[in-house]
Amino acid sequence: MENGTISQGEGKDPSGFLSEIIGNPVTVKLNSGVVYKGELQSVDGYMNIALEKTEEYVNGVRRRSYGDAFVRGNNVMYISAD
Amino acid sequence: MASQLLPLELIDKCVGSRIWVVMKGDKEFAGTLVGFDDYVNMVLEDVTEFDYSGDHTKLKKILLNGNNICMLIPGGEGPVGASASP
Amino acid sequence: MADVGDEGSAVSEPLDLVRLLIDEVVCVKLRGDRELKGRLHAYDSHCNLVLGDVEETIYVVDDEDDDDEIKANREQEIRDAVCDSVVLISPQSRPH
Repeated sequence: MENGTISQGEGKDPSGFLSEIIGNPVTVKLNSGVVYKGELQSVDGYMNIALEKTEEYVNGVRRRSYGDAFVRGNNVMYISAD
Repeated sequence: MASQLLPLELIDKCVGSRIWVVMKGDKEFAGTLVGFDDYVNMVLEDVTEFDYSGDHTKLKKILLNGNNICMLIPGGEGPVGASASP
Repeated sequence: MADVGDEGSAVSEPLDLVRLLIDEVVCVKLRGDRELKGRLHAYDSHCNLVLGDVEETIYVVDDEDDDDEIKANREQEIRDAVCDSVVLISPQSRPH
């Protein structure tokens, strides 16, 4: 397993939190400061993220929207449940 | 020989308490540690994000990528609590 | 990684989304305010991409009017996007 996630309890550790918020609206912030808001389709062990109904915010200003978006995990700073 | 506390054991003791996370670059987070994994990806609750600009952002619950974490301070409330004047 | 068992159209892990975009025109955001638009021929788990009929866009901030401006539009037959600079992949975007 490349993801190395250890499961302790539901909703406690990272993988538990992720399964808890799949399908929900989330905010994904990248290291560059760019923010994506959308519905979380899936996440993998690299923190690659698939979003639906995605909106892109640069400096707090809405720039674009994407139907689907794949975000590469190495750019992700955090995923926040809305 | 005195038993030594491994770094991850120290973090494990922080689960349920407030923690201050200093990232690479000028970003910091303070929140309640809910859980973490081997890469120190962390789930935090009632989070305040401190920007380099001095901005604060409140977040309910986040998964923070461990990749850019630099330092963890158990019990810390972020740069506001640390300095005499914010 | 999540299970990669079913070859259906379901998106059970993020890269499934990229798989569904094969042979489609995609918009790839790269680091450094660069973007590629082209047909996705192939990808791997690192997000190395093979694109055809690529149009590259580089955005630069113009100091005089705050807007981002397209500086260069280059077309190339086929391009390997080096995986580490990939930020985002989506179907042909609909700006604003």
